[in-house]
Amino acid sequence: MNVVTADLTRRFGRTVAVAGVTLDAGPGVVGLLGPNGAGKTSLLRVLATVIPPSSGRIRLLGQDPGSYRQRRQIRRRLGYVPQNLGFYPGFTVVEFVEYFALLKEVPPAVVHRAVASAVERVDLGDKAKAKLRTLSGGMLRRVGIAQAIVNEPELLLLDEPTAGLDPEQRVAFRALLRDLGQRATVIVSTHLVEDVGAACGRVSLMDKGRIVFQGTPDELTARGEGTAAAGDAPLERGYSAVLAAARS
Amino acid sequence: MTAASVPQAPAGPARLPLVGSIRLLRLELRRSIMLWLLPVIAALFWLITYRSAMSNPPMWNIRAMSMQTSILAVFVPTIVGAAAWLGSREARHGLTDLLSGTARTRWVRQLATWAATTCWALVAYLGCVAVLYTVTARQATWGGPLWWPVAVGAASLPASAALGFVAGTARPSRFTAPVVAVTAFLALEITANFIHGDNSPWQVSPLVAGPWEIGPDQGVATFYPYLRDLPIVQLMFLAGLSVALLAMLGLPAGSGSRRMRWFAAALTTGGVLATVAATALAGTGRLDPHGMIAIPALHRASSDRPVPYTPVCADTKIPVCLHPAYAVHLPTVVAALDSVLGELAGLPGAPVRIEQAAASYQQESPNGVRIGRSGKVMSGNPPTLHLLLPMQGGRSMTVGELSSALRTETAHDIVNSVIGGDRRDLSPAQQAVLDAILKTSTLRPGTPAATAAQRLAALPPAARHAWLTQHVAALRAGQIALADLP
Repeated sequence: MNVVTADLTRRFGRTVAVAGVTLDAGPGVVGLLGPNGAGKTSLLRVLATVIPPSSGRIRLLGQDPGSYRQRRQIRRRLGYVPQNLGFYPGFTVVEFVEYFALLKEVPPAVVHRAVASAVERVDLGDKAKAKLRTLSGGMLRRVGIAQAIVNEPELLLLDEPTAGLDPEQRVAFRALLRDLGQRATVIVSTHLVEDVGAACGRVSLMDKGRIVFQGTPDELTARGEGTAAAGDAPLERGYSAVLAAARS
Repeated sequence: MTAASVPQAPAGPARLPLVGSIRLLRLELRRSIMLWLLPVIAALFWLITYRSAMSNPPMWNIRAMSMQTSILAVFVPTIVGAAAWLGSREARHGLTDLLSGTARTRWVRQLATWAATTCWALVAYLGCVAVLYTVTARQATWGGPLWWPVAVGAASLPASAALGFVAGTARPSRFTAPVVAVTAFLALEITANFIHGDNSPWQVSPLVAGPWEIGPDQGVATFYPYLRDLPIVQLMFLAGLSVALLAMLGLPAGSGSRRMRWFAAALTTGGVLATVAATALAGTGRLDPHGMIAIPALHRASSDRPVPYTPVCADTKIPVCLHPAYAVHLPTVVAALDSVLGELAGLPGAPVRIEQAAASYQQESPNGVRIGRSGKVMSGNPPTLHLLLPMQGGRSMTVGELSSALRTETAHDIVNSVIGGDRRDLSPAQQAVLDAILKTSTLRPGTPAATAAQRLAALPPAARHAWLTQHVAALRAGQIALADLP
C-alpha cells in the first residue's frame, strides 16, 4: 500500500478539518469526493507532507513522513497539484517545470528529458517556451500537472485538477490519470463526479472531516438506486444518498 | 494530454546535489528581477556616483573613497528592495504549499534565490567600479587602484541582499520591497550622522571610507598607504551580518533536517558574534596622523611607513616639487607662485627648493579634525620649504579656487617664512615688505606701512631684490624699521 493512514486527524485551532480518517490506497486512481469544507484539501495537504497531522498514524510509500530523512524520500517520489496553484509569471513553461524537477531532486542528467516528457504529456509542447503570464487558466492548470508528474511520482495528489480545463482537455486528462494509475497511487480530489466515474477505480467520500464511504464508483452508484436522492446522473444520486445517510 | 511515451522514472535521489543546486542557481539567474534593475542601477550610478567622482581630481585615493560612500547609496536600497521582492515571491504567488512539498530543503531553495540576486548585484557593481577605475587610470598621474574600498562595497551587496531577503520572507507582501528599500536608504544615511569622533562604533557602516568629519580627502593615502584597518572591520561586520541573516532563514521548522537547523543556529550565533566584535573594534579606532582610522588591534607598523615616490618638479627660480599624485596641479602652482618665487630666489635664508609635505591630522573633541603641516616650514641646509597645498586641508576646490588660494595663503606663507621667520605677528616693516612682494594691499591705505609698501613695490624688481638681499637677515630679525625701507 502506498498510502496507509489510521485515525488521522488534523486540527486548525478548534476546527477539526480531518477527523480520524483511515485510508489505504495502492496503485490506481482514487477519487476523493465531498462537499465544500469536508476536509479534502486538508487531507491532501497532510498526504503531500505540506502540513503534519495533529494525531494518528500515516505511512506514505512505505515511509514515515514524521522522520525528516524519510519525508525527503517521500517527497522525491511525490507529485502534488494544490487547489490554488500559484506560478511565477516570468518563468517559461519549461523553466517552471524544470524548477520543480530540480526541487524534487530529479537527477540532473535526466532533468531535460523528464521536463520535455512532462510538458509533452500535458500537450504543452508548442507552448514550452511561452512565459506563464501569457497562458490561459486551463493551460496553467496543465503546467501544474506537468510539474507534478515530472518526477514520475509513485504517489500523485491532485486537488481539483480539472478546474479550468475544457471538455476536450478533461477527457485527455482522464486518460492520463488512468495511465498514471497503472503504476502509481493517484488521489484526485474533485467536485466533478463524472471525472470520478470515468477515471477512478475507487472512491472515497468525505463529509465533516470523516470518510463516510469507500468503494468503487459502481458501489457508490448503487447506493443511490431506489432513493429520492438529488442528482442528474446515477453517480451523483449515489453521492447525495451517502451524504444524506451520513448526516441523518 | 497523452498517456503514451512515458520515460523511465528519474525518481531516485539526486546523486549530485551540488549540480542540482547549480542548475537551480542558473535558473534563478535567468529569471532574476535584478536583470530588470540593471539599467536603473546604471542610470543611478551615472547620476549619483560617477558624476560626483569625476568632479574630484583624478587621484585614486579620493575617487575610490568617494565611490565607496556614494555607490552604496545607489546599490544598497536597490538590492535590498529586489531581494525583499524575491524573498516574498513564494507567498505572493501562492506557491508556499507546492514548494513545501518538494524534497530540496527550503533553505537551499532560498539560498539559490539570494545567490542569484547577489550575483547580478556583484556583476553590476564590478561593472560600475570598472568604468570608474578605467577612467581614473587614464587620468591619474600616480598610484594605482585602491581595492579595500571596492572590497567593502562588494561585501555590502550580499549583506544587503540577505537583509532584504529575510525581510521579504518574514513579511511577504508587495509593499515589503519598497518599504525596506526606503528604510535601508534612510538607515544608511541616518546612522552615518551618529558618527562622532574617531572612536565611534558607527564607523563600521560601509559608507565610511575614512574620518567621517572630513569625508573623502586628497591628503589621505598618498604619502602614506591606505590603511586596511577599518576596511577589515567593515568586512568582518558585513560578513557576520550576511552569515547571520542567511543562517536565520534556516532556523524555522521545515527549513531542513534537525542537524541542518542546528548548523544554521551555530552560523547565526557566529555571524552575530562577528558583527558585535566588528562594531566593538570600530569603537576602538583612532585618527592616525596620516588621516586614516587606525584600529590598534589590527594595525600594522609597516603601514606607517611613507610610500616612496619620485616628485615632479617645475623649473622655476626656486624649484617647486610636488608629489606625483598632484602633478596635475603643478602648472597652476607654478603660475600662481612664479612671481613670488622670483622675488625670493637667491635671498639669504630663502629656500632653494620647495617640496610638498604630507598633511598631518589630529582629532579634536568632539568631532572636529585639525589638518596641518607636521614639522617646520623650512628645514635643512640649504633650506627646503615644505609646502602644504590648500586642498590638503580637506577642502575640495576648483582650479580657480586653488589658484586664488595659492596666490593669497600659500604665497603669503612662503614669503612670511623668508622675511618673518614664520612668525604670525609681523612688524610694520615686515608687513610692508610682505605686501610689496605679494603685490597685495592688506594694509590700511594712507598708513605709513601702506605707503612704504607702495614705495617698495614701485621699485624696479632688480633694485628691490638687491635691497632685500642686503637687508633680509635684519628684516627677519625685526631690526628694520619702516623708515629704513627704500
